[in-house]
Amino acid sequence: MKPTIEQQLWMYKHMVTSRYLEESLLAVYMEGKTPVFNMGEGPIPGEMHLSNGQEPCAVGVCAHLTPTDVVTSYHRPHHVAVAKGVDLNRMVAEIMGKKTGLSGGRGGHMHLFDPTVNFSCAGIVAQGLAPAVGAMLSRHLQKKPGVAVAYLGEGATNAGAFHESLNLAAVWNLPVLFVVEDNSWGISVSKAQSTAVPRNDARAAGYGMPGVYVPGNDADAIFDAAGEIIERMRKGGGPALMELETYRLAGHFVGDAEGYRPEGEKEALQAKDPIPAYSKRLIETGALTDDSDRELVQAAHAKVDAAIAFGRESSYPDPEEAMQHVFA
Amino acid sequence: MADVRIPTDLWDDDTQAVITSWAYDDGTVVKEGDMIVEIMVEKSQFEIAAPASGTLHIRESEDAVLDRGAVIATIE
Amino acid sequence: MAEAETITAAKTAHKRLTIARAMADAIAHEMRTDERVFVMGEDIGPLGGVFGNTRGLIEEFGPERVRDTPISETGFIGAAVGAAMDGMRPVVELMFADFVGVCLDIIYNAAAKNCYFSGGNVHVPMVLMTSTGAGYSDGGQHSQCMYGTFAHLPGMKVVVPSNSYDAKGLMTAAIRDPNPVIYMFHKRLQGMGWLGTEKGATVACPEEPYTVEIGKAKTVREGVDITIVSLGMGVHWALQAAEKLASDGVSAEVVDLRSLVPLDRDHVFASVKKTGRLIVVDEDYKSYGITGEIIATIAERDISVLKASPQRVAFPDIPIPYSRSMEYWALPSADKIIAAYQRMER
Repeated sequence: MKPTIEQQLWMYKHMVTSRYLEESLLAVYMEGKTPVFNMGEGPIPGEMHLSNGQEPCAVGVCAHLTPTDVVTSYHRPHHVAVAKGVDLNRMVAEIMGKKTGLSGGRGGHMHLFDPTVNFSCAGIVAQGLAPAVGAMLSRHLQKKPGVAVAYLGEGATNAGAFHESLNLAAVWNLPVLFVVEDNSWGISVSKAQSTAVPRNDARAAGYGMPGVYVPGNDADAIFDAAGEIIERMRKGGGPALMELETYRLAGHFVGDAEGYRPEGEKEALQAKDPIPAYSKRLIETGALTDDSDRELVQAAHAKVDAAIAFGRESSYPDPEEAMQHVFA
Repeated sequence: MADVRIPTDLWDDDTQAVITSWAYDDGTVVKEGDMIVEIMVEKSQFEIAAPASGTLHIRESEDAVLDRGAVIATIE
Repeated sequence: MAEAETITAAKTAHKRLTIARAMADAIAHEMRTDERVFVMGEDIGPLGGVFGNTRGLIEEFGPERVRDTPISETGFIGAAVGAAMDGMRPVVELMFADFVGVCLDIIYNAAAKNCYFSGGNVHVPMVLMTSTGAGYSDGGQHSQCMYGTFAHLPGMKVVVPSNSYDAKGLMTAAIRDPNPVIYMFHKRLQGMGWLGTEKGATVACPEEPYTVEIGKAKTVREGVDITIVSLGMGVHWALQAAEKLASDGVSAEVVDLRSLVPLDRDHVFASVKKTGRLIVVDEDYKSYGITGEIIATIAERDISVLKASPQRVAFPDIPIPYSRSMEYWALPSADKIIAAYQRMER
């Protein structure tokens, strides 16, 4: 399934937005943390897991989704949130712990919930898989439409929840696409060290569902593979597992010195940055011109800048508000 | 008048049943189909419905151990 | 004539239900009136639940809404979370509370926290029903109460019925609650004869649906000399102890907590203020749990209401032993409650 030009431009725009968001957040994150890196300091305290390099995994799949479809993600969620259409202002405000954030500051960067587009993420790897299955059970019982996409990193395929969730999705034949973002590293442990099989699509057969591996970190290739699966799922085709080769251009978390990476690996990956490569392709095929590219990039940056400004200008919650919303 | 018996069709052998709980007191008016008593056979619980409507006259109390077919109450 | 009819009508209205039957009836009624309610768990379909609490449901509602699951607690409890977040009202069973170890994350880190993490924008209206309790030699991994564990972790309501009237009302309330509710039933109060049931748990229940408010304790026996606070099976031990104490001229008040979260601290405090003496009875492990919480509640509010040091009768901090004599040596009992009272009076 090849993307139309419109779909390609959609994907490109969201990758550009997502990358600029991560770069902007990084700059804000580092405020107050130099020269001494104290995680609890600055306008964005805590951990920060950036998705630079993994943008194709988000746009290639989410291009096929509507707000009604359900997406769950994990501790590296921003690119997926952007692609799913999460309110950017409220997302940035939440990451900054502000009252105007998606959760009034109660969740932070790993716990972003936007029910208007059915997006949520969690800080425990593989935790979002079973709820994605449940959301589709709900649609089945209510006879309402929708598919679910549950994102996980390749490290999470070894967690018990992966086993249980895939089996359950297959036993109940629910339309859940499990998307493994294989960036090769679970913090400092490589996939080869942690996973008994070189590719997770091989595990799909063990769960009674089809498995697909997409190499190259290429938005169009991911679009193609995901499109086929999602179309089949919408017609009652049942769950599937898709593993996407991708790269983490930054560390596991900001502050990660990445001493575990082999020499030269990072530099080699920078050369394979998917966004300049995609821009080049779109210009070559005429989908973009230098001018329209510049315009698109400027518009995307402006949107992110506005969100960052919104976040900065918003107030913090009153501390006693911590007691609210424990129960409905 | 109808008899309320330990069922004969729920298990095959001579294992006895025990009455674990009467849902109503002696003398209560019950309707046909109401669940009126629970019995236990080994590890299985069975709920017995009233075979007729009328006044329940309990013959065997809770904890009584009985054979299949035994009459445990009548309904008139 | 009219009087006989009234008596008869009264008798037909007061059907006794076991807790198992009460739970199933409450779930069935909600399923009839609310399409969003469905049930999942191991052996809850044709078997009717290992502890009898889903009997009749699959026959009435079919396998779509009453689903047997694989042995995948994280999987199906997680599915309940996702379904609840999408607008359904799942009632899901964790067969033994002891099994929470294999699925604790999806309960305490997701079900209990997603409402908060979303700033109240996403609710998780699910009921997790789970069996608790010892005293029939099921060993250390099938006999625990886990009350303190669930009650301690924020974001989930916790209810513990001691009798079928409360069991039915609390189940209805739990299903209608927009929050995750952990419904902890005691195996020896269920009415399943093979577990050796406490008959005092099988009481009269109205036919029509009703709710018992979550977060409200109940004084089940009035008294003036001492307050005995408990939950679940402990309420029955407390009532037995109160009976024996009465024959010695001691008037014991028994408070049934019924809910752990929210905890009805006001009710407990009012009782202890009246009597001045407190014994807390809990089948769960002694340290870092219910007994400490109740005593702390009184002490921090107004220690002067206490005329004597409060006492705890709880399971010791040991794995539950298998051999019957050891198990019963460890379990609370009416005699231990009386001994605790006697210690207070020295």
